[in-house]
Amino acid sequence: MGIQEVTRGGGVPEYPNTRKSEQTEGFQERLRQNMKYRRQESEEIAGTEEKTGKVKEKSGMGRIGASPGIRVNSTALTEALQTVEVKHMSYEESDNVQIAVTEGYTLKGKIQDKEAKVYVEAKYEDGRLEAYQVDTKKVPEKTQHIIERFALETIEESS
Amino acid sequence: MEQRWHYLVEEYQSMLYRIAFSNMKNRADAEDAVQEAFLRYMKDEKPIQNKEHEKAWLIRTTIHICLDILKSGWYQRTVSWNESFVTAAQNIYLPYQVKDDRTLEAVLQLPVHYRNPIYLFYYEDYTIHEIASVLNEKEATIKTRLRRGREEVKKILTEGRP
Repeated sequence: MGIQEVTRGGGVPEYPNTRKSEQTEGFQERLRQNMKYRRQESEEIAGTEEKTGKVKEKSGMGRIGASPGIRVNSTALTEALQTVEVKHMSYEESDNVQIAVTEGYTLKGKIQDKEAKVYVEAKYEDGRLEAYQVDTKKVPEKTQHIIERFALETIEESS
Repeated sequence: MEQRWHYLVEEYQSMLYRIAFSNMKNRADAEDAVQEAFLRYMKDEKPIQNKEHEKAWLIRTTIHICLDILKSGWYQRTVSWNESFVTAAQNIYLPYQVKDDRTLEAVLQLPVHYRNPIYLFYYEDYTIHEIASVLNEKEATIKTRLRRGREEVKKILTEGRP
């Protein structure tokens, strides 16, 4: 049997009675469209950051936001909340543990600094680990922020 | 030999018991599975590389023993499943306070391929990397099972069925 001649220009050879080239074109078209949408999306995010100057982190799935039980696009850092280095604290070492299977995260809290600050470690379903330090004196009494509420709860439970 | 036995029991018994209990849902079978895992470990002559390897080996073996028992014809004929779910969450003895027993009960009702990753990730605080190593799966598989298992837990909690 003969050897199929392949063009040097990198083109896909046309095989008779197959739909491969048609499928490849369709796939390439969808890929082009996806790339276009992604580019537009990232340009929009960059534009928002430039205009407002307030967005501290780019969007990421599964971040815990200000409303309980709702997964939003960025961790809302507040005056009372700071990101800190992860200590890899165990459940046994924690003063308070919250396991939210249906929301896809766990929280561990430990009181620090004469009961005013709480170290909170969050583990997300996608494997990310993040740590925060919450100054409970600066947390508004009726806060809806999950991490802030968890920090207040940690203080309450220990007292 | 005896020293080694004491070390194993002190170091891993509680954790292995909880993992076995999450699969067996009754105390006697969970304890049997853990003892069997310890015995197999003592008999096994393969060199253990480090503590993490030892721990992973014991968890993996305990889960396999549990699954073997659950699959056995004798077990399927003699255990009443409906009874065990009610009290399982209260008898698992986690080293911290679980505020939501209903969710843990729902997790225990999951099919085994969702139950073990979800239990290890949320209740034993294992990382995705560690779970993948223990269960001999890819990390991407574990992530998918965590996501789908979570959806199944929601279904059990809202509709009352897996």
